[in-house]
Amino acid sequence: MRRADGWTGGRAVGTAVLAAMFLAASPPDRLTAQDSQFGIRGLGTPGRWESVRSRSTGGAFGPFDPLSPLMEAPLADLGQLTATAAGGTSHRDVLVGGTTTALRTTRFPLMGVAGPVAPRLAVAAGFTTYLDKSWDVTLRDSFLLRGVLQRYTDEITSDGSVADVRLAAASRLSRRIAIGVGVHVLAGSTRMTAERRFDDSTFNAVQQSAEVRYDGVGVSGSVLIGLAPGLTIAGWARSDNRLRAKVADTTSAVTDLPRMAGGGVLFAPSPSARFAASVAWRSWSRAGPGAFDTWSWSAGAEFGSRRMPIRLGARGGQMPFGPGTEAPTEVAGSLGTGRAFAQGRALIDLGLERLERRGGGGGLTERVWTVLVGITVRP
Amino acid sequence: MTRRRLALVGAVVLVAACVERLTAPGHCPDYCPSGQITVVDTLLTTSINRDSSYRGYVLAYQAALMLAAHLPGATDTLDSRPIFRFNGFGGRFVLSAADTGDIVGADSARLQLVITRRDTATHNLRLQLYRLPITIDTATTFGSAPFTDSLRTVYIDTLLALPGRKDPITGDSVVVDTVNHRLVLSLKLGPAAARYDTTDSGTVAYGIRIAADTLASIALGKGVVGPVLQWYLQVDSALTSVARTPGVRGAAFASFVFAPPLAPLDSTLAVGGVPSARSLLRVAVPKVIRDSSQIIRATLFLVPAVPARGAPADSFVIEARTVLADFGAKSPIDPRLGDTTVIHPESKDTVRIEVTNLLQLWAADSTHPTVLVLRAQAEAQFLGEVRFYPSLAAKRPALQVTFVRRFPFGVP
Repeated sequence: MRRADGWTGGRAVGTAVLAAMFLAASPPDRLTAQDSQFGIRGLGTPGRWESVRSRSTGGAFGPFDPLSPLMEAPLADLGQLTATAAGGTSHRDVLVGGTTTALRTTRFPLMGVAGPVAPRLAVAAGFTTYLDKSWDVTLRDSFLLRGVLQRYTDEITSDGSVADVRLAAASRLSRRIAIGVGVHVLAGSTRMTAERRFDDSTFNAVQQSAEVRYDGVGVSGSVLIGLAPGLTIAGWARSDNRLRAKVADTTSAVTDLPRMAGGGVLFAPSPSARFAASVAWRSWSRAGPGAFDTWSWSAGAEFGSRRMPIRLGARGGQMPFGPGTEAPTEVAGSLGTGRAFAQGRALIDLGLERLERRGGGGGLTERVWTVLVGITVRP
Repeated sequence: MTRRRLALVGAVVLVAACVERLTAPGHCPDYCPSGQITVVDTLLTTSINRDSSYRGYVLAYQAALMLAAHLPGATDTLDSRPIFRFNGFGGRFVLSAADTGDIVGADSARLQLVITRRDTATHNLRLQLYRLPITIDTATTFGSAPFTDSLRTVYIDTLLALPGRKDPITGDSVVVDTVNHRLVLSLKLGPAAARYDTTDSGTVAYGIRIAADTLASIALGKGVVGPVLQWYLQVDSALTSVARTPGVRGAAFASFVFAPPLAPLDSTLAVGGVPSARSLLRVAVPKVIRDSSQIIRATLFLVPAVPARGAPADSFVIEARTVLADFGAKSPIDPRLGDTTVIHPESKDTVRIEVTNLLQLWAADSTHPTVLVLRAQAEAQFLGEVRFYPSLAAKRPALQVTFVRRFPFGVP
């Protein structure tokens, strides 16, 4: 038995280290989650640090889900090496100024490997989206140039994201308490272009582009406390230092990143019914003008066996960036299910989310349908 | 089969799902990036310095055309006359593989000229053909070419109006080449005009003057479209004179002479004329433009110091180019990029040349000399010349540059 544990743990460590090295060396650009026009003027759109399972419950199960990179402590209860990945396609309608624009994106916001390395210690490595920075804005305008009103079309694009590469460890200190810590490396890049085409062809088109690279670090810690059989509470905190943007090895901006804290409660009155709720606070106002501290909440439930459950949830809260004096708000409802295969060694999770964002003084409303697919493998 | 179909449908759905559509109209400033494209337009009035003019790049005999003009002016008349020479066949002519005979003389000849450029508004255009000494060469000047031996006069407009464009009396004809916009003139020369002088080996030289009711200016072709002479010879064969038609002769020498000569170069910036003149303008592009911006338009402004010289109908094109190295008058011109504008003779309007691509080249290659060369696009093919105010004058050359500053990428 000891030998089996050691073998499993060694493989987990090896896989985790390899994954961490790979991810740290080349954070994927397409590692983005769900874009928003609200993030264009700010740092971007914060990612959702949730697996498909958690997101199908509105994010309420995030603090208790070992495969969601929100908290580290749940990793302590992960009995075997587990790898997970998620993908999602969003159809987003942007309503502003009386016009509606339909946008569509496909993202892969989550990938991770976790497993026990010792009887009381589990580690995890993986990445998720920290900030989504993919957008494409076109603008039609005119201005007086050389005494003539020159009409032009601008197109400014950003394609990429900032990834949160996490290396986490967790330990169950007792039957009731588990703790975890994590180190976060923020890395990523965006390919940005700025183009202007004049109607008057005597003015050449403007075409500028640059690759902006981002970096930063953060630490996090979390705790799970079992208050009673079927009742667990969770708490977490995280601090990231700053996001440095570099263009051609020259620092173009340094932005303070938020400190965050949150908690949740999980109530499982029976094996086939589980309820959870969570709340989180993030001090995004540190990022500068146009940024707001945010609160978010979520509540959700999971019914049925773990082999094929039914999940539903709701969440709401604020967006960190937007025009005006108040933070934009968002509210979402979600549902989903999952299916275990191969004696539980493979799981597919499916989720559907309907999200609405509005506010911010600019009269913008976003309505988003997101289809989520998650795959989990336990070799 | 069902599983395969499902897999196929799944693959199609996956591919379709991966389509990106991110482009949305911007509603600024609320939902636009904080950074904006900043366009700056500036007039550089003191950036052009150390300019100079040089003449003698293409001489009249090196020109691709022969210019003929008669342009009376207020103070003088611009008179330009093509001159050309055909080498003869010598004193004897090959009659057969084993027999030659003395050339007795020429019955006649046919001279073909190609008019490559003319003003169709000019009426009663006429060419006067002169015999010239066969000694004409590159050193021949207007004063040294004796236009005294007039052979005949050809009325171009009359010839064009005749049926079939042929004159049955003189034997002249003209063909209108509508594709190349040329007139191919074929002139019959009688025994007197086609005199074959064996003492000169048959070599003959001609000159042409033109005239018209109004200003007359045309260009005659050279080289493959140059003058061609067809002799019709009489050759002595066993004391019997026989007719022979040798192959046509192209001009061995073709040039033109004109008067009055161009005024000597002064402090102004001369461009064009014959011999052709070029001007060099050295530009000091500010570092802010050259190093950290994108140039989207650059216009060179030049103010003529005097009205451009030349026939009113002979507008000519000047071009601005840059050089590969600044060696003054002998600077090798960079053939890759050039910008042009049309100069209208007798106009004093400010000349604008769009030189955007040249400045973009300088911005892209910091080792490239920032020197502009102004020259006629077809050097020595127009009598026209323009002179601009130099950098030391009040109406100095100026450069208007529109550029875009570096976009603030990475700034939230």
